[in-house]
Amino acid sequence: MSTPTLTSAGAAEAAGAPDGPESPELNTGATGRSSFSSVVARVPRAVWPLLAFLVLFGVGGLIRPNLVSIDSLIGTATFAIILAIASFGQTVAVIQAGIDLSVPNTIGFSALAFLTLVGPLGPGGAFVAALLAGALIGFLNGAVIAKLGLTPIVTTIAMNGLLFGVILLAFNFSELTVTPDFVIAITSAKISVLGLTMPAVLPLGLALMVVLQLVLSFTGWGRSLFVVGSAAETARLAGLPVDRIRITGYMLSGLLAAFAGIVIVGYYQQASATMGASYLLASVAAVVVGGASIFGGRGSVVGTVGGALVLGQVSTLVAVLNLGANIQQLIYGVIILLVISLYGRRRA
Amino acid sequence: MSAISPTAAGPRWWNASGVVRLRREGAVAPILAFAVFFIVYVIINPSLLTRFQLQTAANLVVPLALVALAQLVIVLVGGIDISIGAIMSLANVVFAVQLETMPVPVAILLSVGTGLACGLFNGLLVAYGGLPAIAVTLASAFIFGSLAREVLDAPGGGVTTEIYLATSGELLPYVPVSLVWLAVIAVLLWLLLQRTALGRHIYGVGSNMESVRAAGLNAKLTKLLAFGLAGVLTSFGAMMLASSTVTGDPRSGDPYLLSSIAAVALAGAVFTGGRGSIIGTILAACTLGLIGNLLFFAGVNSYWQYVISALIIVAVVGLPVVWRKVAFRVKGIRS
Repeated sequence: MSTPTLTSAGAAEAAGAPDGPESPELNTGATGRSSFSSVVARVPRAVWPLLAFLVLFGVGGLIRPNLVSIDSLIGTATFAIILAIASFGQTVAVIQAGIDLSVPNTIGFSALAFLTLVGPLGPGGAFVAALLAGALIGFLNGAVIAKLGLTPIVTTIAMNGLLFGVILLAFNFSELTVTPDFVIAITSAKISVLGLTMPAVLPLGLALMVVLQLVLSFTGWGRSLFVVGSAAETARLAGLPVDRIRITGYMLSGLLAAFAGIVIVGYYQQASATMGASYLLASVAAVVVGGASIFGGRGSVVGTVGGALVLGQVSTLVAVLNLGANIQQLIYGVIILLVISLYGRRRA
Repeated sequence: MSAISPTAAGPRWWNASGVVRLRREGAVAPILAFAVFFIVYVIINPSLLTRFQLQTAANLVVPLALVALAQLVIVLVGGIDISIGAIMSLANVVFAVQLETMPVPVAILLSVGTGLACGLFNGLLVAYGGLPAIAVTLASAFIFGSLAREVLDAPGGGVTTEIYLATSGELLPYVPVSLVWLAVIAVLLWLLLQRTALGRHIYGVGSNMESVRAAGLNAKLTKLLAFGLAGVLTSFGAMMLASSTVTGDPRSGDPYLLSSIAAVALAGAVFTGGRGSIIGTILAACTLGLIGNLLFFAGVNSYWQYVISALIIVAVVGLPVVWRKVAFRVKGIRS
């Protein structure tokens, strides 16, 4: 893989759809290079993590032939799709050159709020209320970042801390034991798709991925999110309402994290104050492995699913080889280093 | 590269007392915030000023203050360290485990060496690899964290009562040893940052990379050394924590990731680099570290500390921004 080609194509692709038609700049950028590297440069980044997943899946098959089965694939994909759902909001934040470190406690808050409100509001009402709470959290993040000019990292860390306090103060944990049936039906219930039995969360997550990717790639708002992420000042001069795009971006990020909270409650059927803690670094990891630039302006939810699949397959392999959770974390770190050394360099 | 701006009108008294420098470094708001906080604390709980409580409070805030100083050094060169909690855990367990078999100085050296090695690892990739600090340290957070749990997989280790007394006891009545250590380290760090070439380069790299390069200074080496320095400071915090809790714990550093960034933000440091004060960072860490205690003595549910910390950060960091915007508008109307 040719790193310089990918890097120089970055600026052009930042403004164009990751999966969309090639922009003219990309063509000029690729002239004069070997046809192979220009072909490589045109491949959407989201393809690489998916390819890496397939390679890892094959490696698993070489080690343990019985790992190459539909059941094993569905098992890994289910683990991955839950991580991916928790990372979709992070993807939106990273695309607009931000970061959302309040994902962990947004997950916890929405999950606990949902379980608490099922009694008075019913499952549907509680579902909507929890999502609105997530959007409100995102709105506050976005307003402080866009209007007060605080750094996204600091703002979302403060929000994460604030939510932790609210979680501990507001909820009565002993009463929150029953998970409503309809959430189980859309997450852990086994359903049959194309003759394959799988947990409902898998098609749900994939459908969400398709919808989000369409919104990001083909709506004006989605495209402007990329522009704000790659060149905020230029976007402002071009007359884009940068602050409003930022704030709505964080609202979507918070809403998606809240949705992840409900999904996690449905799948694991337990909730606690620290249920989101493991997603703090893991959500950023999935986004980075999925090929998004930490400087903003590029990234895709398809890539994030790919990144989550890579991390999920690693954890499957580690479990099969009985290496322990420590080795899994070590490999996660090495994979992130590999990915950023392939295309993490600062754009000139 | 004078720290005091030559444009300041006339030799006023505050030039000599360093107030201008504190203002430039954004430290006035956190110092005032700490003063208010401290007065409220002493009014609510006058027994803070007893020997036992002073010692407990000092042991609580000193590790956070040291890790926050480490984060500050990295923020000064325009970076951020997501792996700081993992480095702290690793240095903490290395210290505790080595104490089981090795003499104390060797354990200290190994722990400092661990912090230095972790810092240099990050620094090499950021400065010479040209990779973004946030992504590099995200990766190394996973790596160092897993190493920490390889060294020691559950709380334990050989920290003894003598070590507790040497780091977390009392030097004299009313003088906790941990505060003395913090003061020594802070003064050394201040001398390094304000009075040596390396220190001025660290501020320079953060505030204007291009000028530093044009002046022929080695910006990459400066960044590398800043990361190494931060690793050493983190290991000091890790050893203070291991000593005051008399255990090594492979997850002890985890909470310090977010709280070290929060303290640096509260100190008024600028996350693009070049601006941040040592005294501001220490006082910000004291404020954040003691909120839980204050609420306990005030009879408030101590879970409120998370909410109040967040509001203090947004208020102290955000109010100057609002103030500047309002002042700008008022000036605009007048002219």
